[in-house]
Parts: sequence; structure tokens; C-alpha cells
Amino acid sequence: MDLYLLSPEISLLATALAVILLDLFVKEKWILGWVSVTGVIVSAIFALSLWGRVETSFGGALAVDQFSIFFSLLFLGIAALILISSTEYSRKFAAFRAEYYALVLLATTGMMLLASTRELISIFVALELTGISLYVLAGFLKDAKSSEAGLKYLLLGAVASAVLLYGMALVYGLTGTTYLDEIAAAISSQGILGSPALLMGIVLLVAGFGFKIAAVPFQMWVPDVYEGAPTPVTAYLSVASKAAGFAVILRIFYEALGPASLDWGMIFAVLAAITMTIGNIVALTQKNIKRMLAYSSIAQAGYIMIGLAAFTAEASSAIMFFLACYALTNLGAFIAIIAISNKINSDEIADYSGMVRRAPLFALALALCLISLTGIPPTAGFMAKIYIFSAGVNADLLWLVIIAVINSVISAYYYLRVVRVMFLGEPLSEERVHASSGLRIALAITCLGVLLLGIYPWILMKYSEIAAITFLP
Amino acid sequence: MDNFGYIGIFLILSIGFAATMILLPVTLRLLHIVPRKPNPTKYTTYECGMETIGKSQVRFNFRYYYFALLFVIFDIQVVFLYPWAVELSQLKLFGLVAMMVFVLIIMVGFVYAWKKGVLKWK
Repeated sequence: MDLYLLSPEISLLATALAVILLDLFVKEKWILGWVSVTGVIVSAIFALSLWGRVETSFGGALAVDQFSIFFSLLFLGIAALILISSTEYSRKFAAFRAEYYALVLLATTGMMLLASTRELISIFVALELTGISLYVLAGFLKDAKSSEAGLKYLLLGAVASAVLLYGMALVYGLTGTTYLDEIAAAISSQGILGSPALLMGIVLLVAGFGFKIAAVPFQMWVPDVYEGAPTPVTAYLSVASKAAGFAVILRIFYEALGPASLDWGMIFAVLAAITMTIGNIVALTQKNIKRMLAYSSIAQAGYIMIGLAAFTAEASSAIMFFLACYALTNLGAFIAIIAISNKINSDEIADYSGMVRRAPLFALALALCLISLTGIPPTAGFMAKIYIFSAGVNADLLWLVIIAVINSVISAYYYLRVVRVMFLGEPLSEERVHASSGLRIALAITCLGVLLLGIYPWILMKYSEIAAITFLP
Repeated sequence: MDNFGYIGIFLILSIGFAATMILLPVTLRLLHIVPRKPNPTKYTTYECGMETIGKSQVRFNFRYYYFALLFVIFDIQVVFLYPWAVELSQLKLFGLVAMMVFVLIIMVGFVYAWKKGVLKWK
């Protein structure tokens, strides 16, 4: 057993515990945020040092390969940006700052484990570590909306976990093992392919993970939770939690249920079409920007699910690239919203009127991110959509790609409406919007990333391609 | 599907058992084997135990929950410690270190609760 393979997770967990203890014994609370960021960087260095190794440990339950390192680095990057951008926002819950940082770190640890475990029970434990941390974070503001968000997330999350466990139990009952590679071997050798019990297990697994990635019809929690949760947590939920969901779906469905791909490929294709259509159409009428981005994140999950339905190495590479681009873009949008909303104390789109004159840089950054979410060049969102759509076409899913393109056109309306309000509307007051240096740095990183990946996608794509061949040659 | 056949048998048995138990008194009553002799005691909510005094929805002080939560955590810890202690001679140093890490993580939570004043009954 090689503990070094687990060093990114261990160091992050140690940082979380250190932050909790430091808060109890140290008077200077401002160091907590920087200790957390340092811990994330240390963990990222450990993860980078593991790149290129393909090994398993803990009796085959833990896999360190390019796939898990790619996702670990993605989660760590997201966590670092979230931590930097919540330094100012965390004044709203100043007494619980340490708990906030520690919970973000614990959730990140859980997500990293999700991407690297190859055994159903470990996957479930990692999923719960992530989930429970996020339930608490969603209710962190303790006002009526935030409490509602936390409670709804907890209750629906518990139901989803139960459904997921039931699916896992069925798969285990049929194959007699909880290890993903042995499940795949058992499915192809024992002639249980196409048995109704296996199909039932697959459907339950799709439902359980569909909750995590906010796919229709498991999306009911998304708008309320995204609206009520503290904005940095909403940003974290919308990118990291979704990416973790897709990471574990790729692991389970590509690795363990690969032989049954005909069964679940069609489920994901149909869900993808419904998800993107409903997400986009409901987003059209939203007046609150956090709710609008909630529905937009549902729609984006629909685009990513095209890759799941395709089931090729190209598609899984496209999913990873899309998730990275989407993370940068959505984080950028949310960071700009944190900066602006902190000042105007409102999330209504109407209150963003004329924002370009009050906060030119933030308005421009938000506009860039919204353009990237629409998928207009030269932004990361454009390259991500091209990549995933071409993967879909190559896998004979032309009908699905056509639906996705129509949806992209619909989505342009509500994304660009915000841009129009900000650039052409009359400002409601002349007061300028200022923000902390942490927010500025985080926003600069995301916007540069969005532009860089839009112009030179290959710097990331070559790594996602290496990571994708972990399961499919 | 042989293994699931057992589950089917269990399912039929359990449904049959429950149905029998529900229908048995009714049948016996209809056959006039069981006499009908009602009295007030039979109609009370609880056959045994004390009558409740005051409202049944009592509000507990929320501090009980802090203690209950801490209790559950340490209870689970003991559940893990017992089998570990029995097998410690085979687990050697690795087992000792692994359990120490586990205890250490729980101790962080305990120190946290202590410093935050959870154990004080103000």
C-alpha cells in the first residue's frame, strides 16, 4: 500500500483540520483563508507529482491515473478560486469563517476521492463526504432563504443517496462484487447483460447521479438552492459538484457498466435532450441572476451529457475539456456577481442596469463569461461546445447535436439580455462598485483562462485526451 | 436468477404472514369464537404504561442535541475500537497508526466542541 498515492487528499484533509484548530487558538483570523489556499496549493503540487503514474492501491479501491489527477487538479483550482473570492464575502458569517474554509476543503477532498475511487462503497463514502459538507455550506447564511436552501438540498440529497445505494445494491447483487473492473468482467461473462434487474440498477444509478449533475427530471432542488446559498457556495456547487458528478459517472458507467452501454447510452441521450431544452426554456423567464444561472447550469449539464451518450474516448475527453471550460466561465460569472451584488445588495437582473458605467471591469468580465456560456468565439465555451458536438456527431448522435445547437440559439437570448441591460440600460445610481483584491485576482484568472482556452484550446485538450484513454483505448 | 428466487419466497412468506396476522382476529370474531366484551380500558391508546401528563409534544432544551451528537460520535468510535483492540496483535504497528489517525480526527472535533462551549450548560 502506497500512501503517497493518497498524498493530495491527505494534505488537504490535514489543512482542513489545521484550519479548524487554528481558529480555536489563534487571534489573527485573516490567516485562515491564506492557510487554506496554501493547503490547496500544496495538495496541487502533490497531485502534479503523481501525473503520469497509473497505479492502484488499497486493494484496488483507489486508482491514481491521469483521469483522477486531471479531475483533482480541476477541483483544486476551483477550490482555490472560491477561497480567494470569498475572503470579502465571508464577512457575512465572520464568526464561522474557519468552518466555512474547512468545509470547502473537506468537500474538495471528497470530490478528489470521488474521481479516484474504483469501488462502489468507497465511491459512496466520498459522495457523502462531499454532500454533507455542501449541505452545511448551502445553509451557511442562516437567513430564511439560505436555511431553505440547506434543508431542501439535505432532504433531496438524502433521497438521491438512497436511490443511488439501491442501484449499487442491485448491481452488486447481480455481479457479486463492488469493484468496478470486476463488475465489467462479470457483466460480460455471466450473461446478465439485458437482464431487467441490471437495467433497474442502471436506471437507479442514473437517477442518483442525475441529482448531482442536476439533470432533468432530478433538477428540482437547483434553482432554490442556488438562489438561497451564499454566492461563493453557489459558484462552487454549480461547477465543482457538477464536475464531480460527471467524474464519477464516467468512472462507473465507462469502466464498470461499459459492456451495457447500449442500455444506458440511450437513457443519457434522451435525458440530455430534455435537460437542455427545459433548462434553457425556463431560464428565459428568470428575473434573478442566480436563478437564471441555475437554469443555465442545468442546460449546460444537458450539453455535457451528449458526451456521456456518445461513449467514445473522444467524448470522454470532450466532457473533461468542457467541464474545465465551463468551470472557468461559470466561476468568472459568479465572481463578477459576488463583486457587484456585494455592493448593490441585490441579485435582480433589473438592478444591473447600466452597470458598465458603475463597474466597467466587472461588467466587461461578466459579459465575457456570459458570451462564453452562450458559445460565441473567441471564448472557451465555444471551443468546448465544438468539441463535444463533434464527438456527438462522430458517435452517430446527429439528432441530439441538432437539438443542442437549437438550444444554444435559444440560450443566447437570456445570456445576452443581461449584457444588454448592463451596457445599454440607465444606471440606477452613479455610485461606483469596488471590490477586494482577492476578487479582482480571481476574476482576472478566470477571464484570462476563458480567453486563453478559446484561442489556444490545445494547451488543455492534449491533457484531457491523455486522461480520457484511461478507460477506453 | 436462483438467488433472487429465495427473495421471492421470503417476500411471499412475509406478505402471507402479515395478512394472516391481520385477518386472524377478524375471522375468529366472525366465527363467534372470540367473545365481544368491550370496556373503557381496552379503548385507551396505550394498553400498558402511564397516562401522559400535560402535552405530549414536550420541548427539549436544544443543548440535549449537542450532547446527543457528541455521544453518537463517541459511541461509534467505541464500536470501531472494540474489534480493533481484539485484533491489535495481528494488525501490528500499521493498525495502531491507522486507529490513532482516526482517534485524532475525532479529537479535533471534540476540542472544537469544547472550545466553542458546547459542554457548558449555561
